[in-house]
Order: sequence, then structure tokens, then C-alpha cells
Amino acid sequence: MRRLVLFIVVTAVVLGCFAAVTWWVDPLGEIWKPGALVTAERDDCLISQELIGTRYLSFKLAVFHDRPTRTFVVGSSRVLKIASHPHERSFANLGYPGTAPSTILKLVHTLPASPRQTMYVGVESFWFNRHYRVPDTNPSDYHLAEYLVSRSAFWNAFTFARDVSYVRYPDRWRRTTVGRRCTIGRTYPSINWALDGSRVWSWELDPKHYQRFHATPYRGNLNAWRNGYYADWETIDQARVAQLERALALARSRGWRVVGFAPPEPASIVRILEADPRIAPRWRAFLRLMPQVFGRYHDRWIGPAVRCPASAFPDLFHTDAACSLLVRDRLDLAARHAD
Amino acid sequence: MEPIRPTGLQLFGSPVLFNSFPFLFVFLPAVAAAYFAVPWHRLRLLLVIGASYYFYAYADWWFPALMAGSTAISYTTGRLLDTETDERRRKLGLATGIVGVLALLAYFKYTAFVGGYALDFVHVLTRQSFPDARSFFHGIVLPIGISFYTFEGISYMVDVYRRTLRAERDVLRYAFFISFFPHLIAGPIVRYGILQPQLTQKHRFDADRVRSGLMLFALGLAKKVLLADGIAHWVDHYLATPGQLGLVNAWSCAVGFGFQIYFDFSAYSDMALGLARIFGIELPWNFDRPYRSASPTEFWRRWHVTLSTWLRDYLYIPLGGNRKGQRRQDLNLLATMGLGGLWHGASLNFVAWGLYHGLLLAGTHRGRRRGLSLPRPLGVAVTFILVVLGWVLFRMHSAHGIGALYAGMFGLHGIGGLPGHLALYIAIAAAIVFGLPEEWRWPVGRWNVAYVAATAVLFAVAVSSVYTSHPFLYFRF
Repeated sequence: MRRLVLFIVVTAVVLGCFAAVTWWVDPLGEIWKPGALVTAERDDCLISQELIGTRYLSFKLAVFHDRPTRTFVVGSSRVLKIASHPHERSFANLGYPGTAPSTILKLVHTLPASPRQTMYVGVESFWFNRHYRVPDTNPSDYHLAEYLVSRSAFWNAFTFARDVSYVRYPDRWRRTTVGRRCTIGRTYPSINWALDGSRVWSWELDPKHYQRFHATPYRGNLNAWRNGYYADWETIDQARVAQLERALALARSRGWRVVGFAPPEPASIVRILEADPRIAPRWRAFLRLMPQVFGRYHDRWIGPAVRCPASAFPDLFHTDAACSLLVRDRLDLAARHAD
Repeated sequence: MEPIRPTGLQLFGSPVLFNSFPFLFVFLPAVAAAYFAVPWHRLRLLLVIGASYYFYAYADWWFPALMAGSTAISYTTGRLLDTETDERRRKLGLATGIVGVLALLAYFKYTAFVGGYALDFVHVLTRQSFPDARSFFHGIVLPIGISFYTFEGISYMVDVYRRTLRAERDVLRYAFFISFFPHLIAGPIVRYGILQPQLTQKHRFDADRVRSGLMLFALGLAKKVLLADGIAHWVDHYLATPGQLGLVNAWSCAVGFGFQIYFDFSAYSDMALGLARIFGIELPWNFDRPYRSASPTEFWRRWHVTLSTWLRDYLYIPLGGNRKGQRRQDLNLLATMGLGGLWHGASLNFVAWGLYHGLLLAGTHRGRRRGLSLPRPLGVAVTFILVVLGWVLFRMHSAHGIGALYAGMFGLHGIGGLPGHLALYIAIAAAIVFGLPEEWRWPVGRWNVAYVAATAVLFAVAVSSVYTSHPFLYFRF
């Protein structure tokens, strides 16, 4: 019996050591590290994407709760530059890459019903393409357990900790400078998050050291363009429309103000969306459908109300800070009119 | 080979396989704990049957129904053969039972194969392509493990018919025999005579036996995820372009695949033996360092032993074995091994692999009759090379691939370079294969504390590698 116990205990201890090292170093960003956000808040720094990893939802919820949030925006990566005004603490950006109607519904469920909120919903047409796969940004406990005892994750953690001394103790990150801003990160903080949840690219702060992103040109292959979001789009997925409606209904039941919008597109992309016969019918259906959906809950839909010049889209997909500020102003105006 | 894409029952979004976290951390501990907690023997049998059906449902929801059907056919046939005294009726009953279980196997495993060739033949004559029929054949899903439990059912019926075994009256015991999850998916092919006496007794919790089973399982898992999967990574990488392999790397791939399939399949067998031992059941061993064989005959006495003895007892000997002259023996060997190849997969390359081994066996018998024999080390080397040449037929699934790899092995694509990582794996594998006895022979039950602790460390490392593990090769058969 003692040898059986020894066998089980040794196995458990070795796996436990693997898990502890992987948890501490977290080489793939699967573990939410609230301490990193606390440090960033204390030092008034940005927080690097390296420390957020796949845990967008946990990060955004922490942002929401750490601020006296009264207004927030949700949506895909294309709303992430919508930021708070200087010294404004009541605004939070809760958008993240991989947002979809299901994640918005989940987020609204998770947020407290009061105080009353103003919610800006940036709706993407491709969400209603059944083939758009919603990535997992809230891994299950089982998935995390699998990750923690995985040999490859442990090996990554071990080599990282061997090469990068500050990861070992007492923190798992360091304070670095990108341009004129400080950021809490690790080795290469190319993407950062501000404390209001909006995104800051390092090339905006330090164009000498960080490379700007490049656009994937449209060459007619929908599988290769914009991560394939528009490929094989046959119909408007009604299940996802229903999920969005449930989120709006829940917000309505809580007395929240809601303004819907379509994140801006450069004119060249609008031409593609309106002309490509594989997309255009669905794009037009989307633009027709959304006012009805938001109208059903007495919410405002301002559509792609802001036009920005091509230079405002560094990668022909995401808006820059100036264009996003225009969007924010337009949303604030719509919200005021909603009263 | 198409990867298995399970669509059935899952735990935490993952299929329940030996080399999976749900199996290791949930299924196995839960079933073992419940098994020893239940005080009634029949309830224990029922519990394991239920767990085994659940385990089998991982691949598809309807697979357990198929297994239940096959179990019902062989069980009913056994009961009929036991009570019937009229020889003609017994023969008819046996034939009906065998046809019944074989019909399921034939439909699911061979319809697409035969139908595909038939359509090709008709296409040549009529220039019609029959797309609907082709998509129908393509849509037939092979239930994993069916080849194994079909052979187990047949051996049971034949043994009862031969009166070397009494038919089982207790349907629970019989269902346990067919479905017992350690051997369900990829063997060993168990005969009821081996399991029957073990199923009548209640197995008390024995810490030493459980530890011994766990350690055997651990060694099997380590072989699978640390060796077989590592070799597979590099073999698959190189064999993706067989036409570019020179002499050295082509041989490295062929030898590598030989070690990969051995470590993969023997690992599964070790894990099956270890798991069964945890529950107090001893399954027959399946491998005994086959690459140390000095002749093809010896190879088949050491490789997939439960299959080769099954083929010998239920196919080769009934066909006449060696009792009807040399020419007939050669034909019997070719037929037995050809069908053995077909059992592995409905594909001509498996038939060719079986026939190749039939030729080797026939040649060995003829040589022996003429007094030819090689010194043992030379015999081992020649047998190893012959077996490796045969693995090319097994591994490559197209005539083009087979031709390209053979061309590389015979130097038609130049010398080629030594594939570093694969060569290292081959060296480790060869050291184990030629230097150590088979794991089931290791006296794990008597190991001291240091060995137990070392095996536990190895087990933990193997468990941590499960995350990226490949499916077992023999699941496809």
C-alpha cells in the first residue's frame, strides 16, 4: 500500500511542480494576472498584451470594476481605439478581438444591473456569417488544468524563466518604456492596453522601434482577406441575431441606454463590401436589419455614421485614435439624444 | 491514414482515450473507485460494462448499439451450440453466428473497399461515374474496435462449437468479456477461455496489484507519448515527400516507422494489460520484443501474438495447415496472411503487406525443410530488414508512395543525409528493443521504492505530454 501511495504522490508532486512553474510564468498568456493591472494602475502605466494573453474577458471585467464606469463600448478589435477623454474615469472600453453576439450577451449578463449604464455596441456585419468562428477568450477550468500540466507549456515556461530573470521573483513582469509612456510588460510590448481598456499600439508611441501593421490586400480570395471573416457567407445567421437581441433586451430591462453603430470602414473597403457579389447582398441585409433590431428595443442605431479618410486606417481595418475620437463624439451625441 | 475525428460522447470537450486527460483524471479513477467500492460482484460487472459502453461511445453515439448487436449474436449462438446435439444443426448455427457478426464487420469495413473497386470496374466499361453510389460508400463510418470484438466473438463461438469451451450462461459475464474497455478498442484479442475463470471470482482491492497495473500502464503511456509520438512526428514529416528521400533517410524512415508502430501498438497493449490488472483481470500479452526474432516465423510468434494465434487456430489450421502437403501449406499461409492483412484495413496495400508476410513464412518453411538456417545474429538482422521492407507496404497508401520509398531505399534517389532527430529516436528505440525485455515481463510488482518513484516521475512526464499526443495507430483497424 505504501508503494502505491508513493507512486501516486510522486506523480502528483511532479505534475504539481509543472503546474506551479507554468502558472507562475504563464508563457502563453492563459492565466489572468490581476496583479499586473494593479501595478499598471499604481504606476499609471499601460499594460502589455503579453500579460493579457487570451484572457480578454477577465481583463475587461477588471477594467469595468476598477473604474466608476457609467459608459462603455463593446465590439470587435475595430472599436478598441475608442478611448476615454482626458481625466474621464467613467468610460471603459470593453471590446476585444473575437467579440460576437454571444460574448456580448455573456458580458451583459456578467455586468451588474446597476448603476445605470450607457452601452455603445459596435456591430460587425461578419458576426452574422455562420462560418465566422468565435474564438475562446474565456478558457474553461478543464482547459486551464490541461495547460498547466502540459509538458510543452512547462518547457516554454522553464526556458523563459531561465532566459528572463525578472520573471522568477517577486513579479512576473517588468516596467518598460515605450516612447514616452511606461508599460507593464515582458520582452516585446508591441500591443498595449490603457487603463480604460482601449488599445495602444507601440508603433504609435515609438515608431522607430516598433513596426506598424500592414494591411492584407483584397485580391478576391475571401479566405485570405480579413482572416476569412467574410468567406462562405450565405445568409444572415438568425441565431446570432437572436443572441444580440437577447443582449439588447437584457440591457433594456435594466434601463440602460444603448446606441448601436457599425465601426467605420475606409472608402475602398466600403466599395468592396457593396460590390463583391459574395458579400454585397449580406452587407446590405445587415445594414437594413440593424436599425430594425435596435429599434425593437427603442435603442438608437447610428450605422456607419462616421466617415474617416483612408489615412485613418493604418491596416485598412482598424481605425486610428483620431477617427475613433470622432466615433466617440458621435456616440455621445446619439446617447444624449436618446434621452 | 485518416485521423480519427471523434463525434460522440466526450468529457470536458475531449474524447475519452487512454492517452487523454479525461480518461486519466476522471474516467479511470472514477470507474476504479466505484468498482472496488461496490460490494456485490454482479453489480461490479454491470458497472464495468456500463463504463465500457460509455467509453466506446466516445467515437460515435451508435457504436455501442453495434457492439451490443454483435454481443447478442455471439452469445445466442453460443447458447444454441451448447444445447444442440444435432451436428448438422450445430454447424448451421455456427455458420449463421459467424456470418452474423462478420456481416457487420464486412458492411462497415469492406463495403466501401469492394464497392469502390466495383464502381471503378463499371466505370471502365460504361464511362459512368455513379457519384451517388460513391458518396454513399464514402459515408460509411468504420466503428473502431469492431475488428477486435468480431474476432473475439468468432473465437468464442468456434470454441463452444468445438466443445473446448462451455457456453456462458451469464449474459453479464459475456457482455463484460466483449466490452471490457481496456481491450475493447485495439486488443489484445482475448479468448473467453482466458477470461471466464477470472470473471467468476470477486477481486478484492489489492494495493500491490493496483500499483503493478498502474506502473505497467505508466510504462505503456511513456512508450506511446515519449517514443512513438516523437518518432511519428519525424517519420510523418519526411514521408510527406517520399520522392525526395535518399538511401539513408529512406531507410531511416522505414526503420523509424517500424519502431513507431511497435512502440505505439505494444504501448497500447501494455496499457491494456495494466488497466485490466488494476481491476484484477490478467489479459494475455501481445508482444515479446518481436524485432529480436531470427526468422519471420518467430516474428509472428512475438508480434501481435493474440492476432497471429487467432489466425493460426481459426483460419490456418481449419484450412489444412501443414497437413496437406507443401504446396497447400504455402497457399494456406498466403490465404491466412492475406486475410490477416485485409483485417488490418480495407485497402490493397494491407493485402499486399499480408501476402508479403505469407511469402516470407512460406519461404522460411521451405528453407527450413531444406536444412537452411542462419546464425542467430544474422537471422535477426535479415528478419529485421525483411520486416522493415514490409512496413513500407503498410505505411504508404498509394502505389506511387510505395514505389517512391522503395526507390529511395534502393538508392535510386541518391544517398541522402542522416535525419538527426529521427536518428536519435531510432538509436534510443533500438537500445530498448534490443537491450531490454518486454515491459510485461518486468517484475514491476517487486520493484523497490527508488524504481517506483522513478516510474512515477516518468509517468508524470508522460501525462504532461498527453496534451499533444497522437491517436493510436491500431485504432484504425
